[in-house]
Amino acid sequence: MPAISIDTFFACSLMVLLVLSAMAGASKLLYPHINAVDTNIAQRYESVSKYLLLNDGTPSNWGQNYQVIPENFGLAKTGSDNQYELDIDKVSRLSNENLYAVSYAQLFTTLGMSDVSFRIEVEPIFEVALNLTATFEGANETSYEFEILTEKQGVPVQAELKLYVLAENYLETSLACVSSGRTYVNKTISNDVNGPALLVVLARSVSNAKIVSFSDYPFAHNSTEPKPKGTFLRLSPLNHKLNASLIYPETDLSDAYALSFNYSSTLSQTANNSQSATYDIPRFLDPSPTLIVVTGWNSTSFFTEWTAYPQIPLQTGMDFASSATLSNVFAYTYLVTIDSALYKCTIWLGGPRE
Amino acid sequence: MKNQNRGQIRIIEAFLAVLIIFSSFAISANLTVTQNTTNHDDLPSIGLQALMKLDSDGNLGKWIDGGDWAALRDALNIVLPTGIAFNLTVYNGQMQQVNTDVISNGGFSSQDIAFVEYVCASQGSNFHCYIIHLYLAVAS
Repeated sequence: MPAISIDTFFACSLMVLLVLSAMAGASKLLYPHINAVDTNIAQRYESVSKYLLLNDGTPSNWGQNYQVIPENFGLAKTGSDNQYELDIDKVSRLSNENLYAVSYAQLFTTLGMSDVSFRIEVEPIFEVALNLTATFEGANETSYEFEILTEKQGVPVQAELKLYVLAENYLETSLACVSSGRTYVNKTISNDVNGPALLVVLARSVSNAKIVSFSDYPFAHNSTEPKPKGTFLRLSPLNHKLNASLIYPETDLSDAYALSFNYSSTLSQTANNSQSATYDIPRFLDPSPTLIVVTGWNSTSFFTEWTAYPQIPLQTGMDFASSATLSNVFAYTYLVTIDSALYKCTIWLGGPRE
Repeated sequence: MKNQNRGQIRIIEAFLAVLIIFSSFAISANLTVTQNTTNHDDLPSIGLQALMKLDSDGNLGKWIDGGDWAALRDALNIVLPTGIAFNLTVYNGQMQQVNTDVISNGGFSSQDIAFVEYVCASQGSNFHCYIIHLYLAVAS
């Protein structure tokens, strides 16, 4: 055998041997250390996530008073006997839709941990999706067929439905049921009614009445296509009062409604000026979010605006999904109670790798 | 002489290859963003929280008293995160199995199974105490 072949064979064998032994040695030596660091970080972040949900912050009523920025951040309801029961106003002040929202920069400061970035998401446990599938126009009335889907990440959820259709001086209520995650309902509206109209659906899980979700679908009826949410009003519920801020000064407000699964009520205006109006929100004895709908006119256009109280779904904080930073990111999901109803709260925590 | 040098070059190549492989390991380890959504350590906490929420208004005891195992299974399906398999067994005070149906959303394919024990008192007119064993695993 020539000397060159022996050299090549020796070199290749040495390379393979070195690579294998180096990989085995490195993983054996470093893995426990890396894993221990991650475990410590995970435990620390889990404690931080629990702190955010179990601590009521300072001052404890920072949610109700829109002028107060918390000194210490915490979302728990003050004086609650139940764990993971959150304050409806503290949660609402995390929503970007709310005029009195606390910014992420302020929340980051109040948490007092300069090496921890976070993101908070609060949403219903399952989703409701609405689609307008057909329209039947008659001489005196128009019928609309809607497809309603109730799913939890693609898995059908059996639910009872409460449907509200709102238009100018018009509120219609009905009930339906979804047994396999999908149903179709027909809504008929007189052609004398002015639109755009708004379909609001509250869905309550058959297995547990405290699990409620909701959705809305604005649609044209005797009108042009509805404008996107937030075009005419900015609705900010806080401390069981609703502030409706006018986007355009030439806006006239008509009726306002509070809707839950079992109850509905017309809201009465308690104050108004050229820029906003205030309404009292009733305290329904119902494990359900309260959906608030305000109608009005902007010059010649009728509109409906709506929001939920608590103001969910919401996402606030750092956007880790688009982040390419060198960081550990951990997500913790909790079942939380807000005004007797159950929701899903996910807290994302991240920081530099140690 | 020339042939002997070619052998030495290959050894140098081998060392360079090892160096490149190590460098790639070192760099890629630091670039990885860890996103830990549902790991095995969280499962007992998730399971306990789910049972506590279902029990907070007495529904859990009511379903067991009434033998409404389908409702209990549906409720667990909704409150537990998607992708978690569960199997629940209800025992009475003498550790005799109470549930007549299987309360589960499928078989466990994972070896890592978390266990939660929960004591539930029914809120009906007759006092009953139940011991609930909940097994959880991350579905693969």
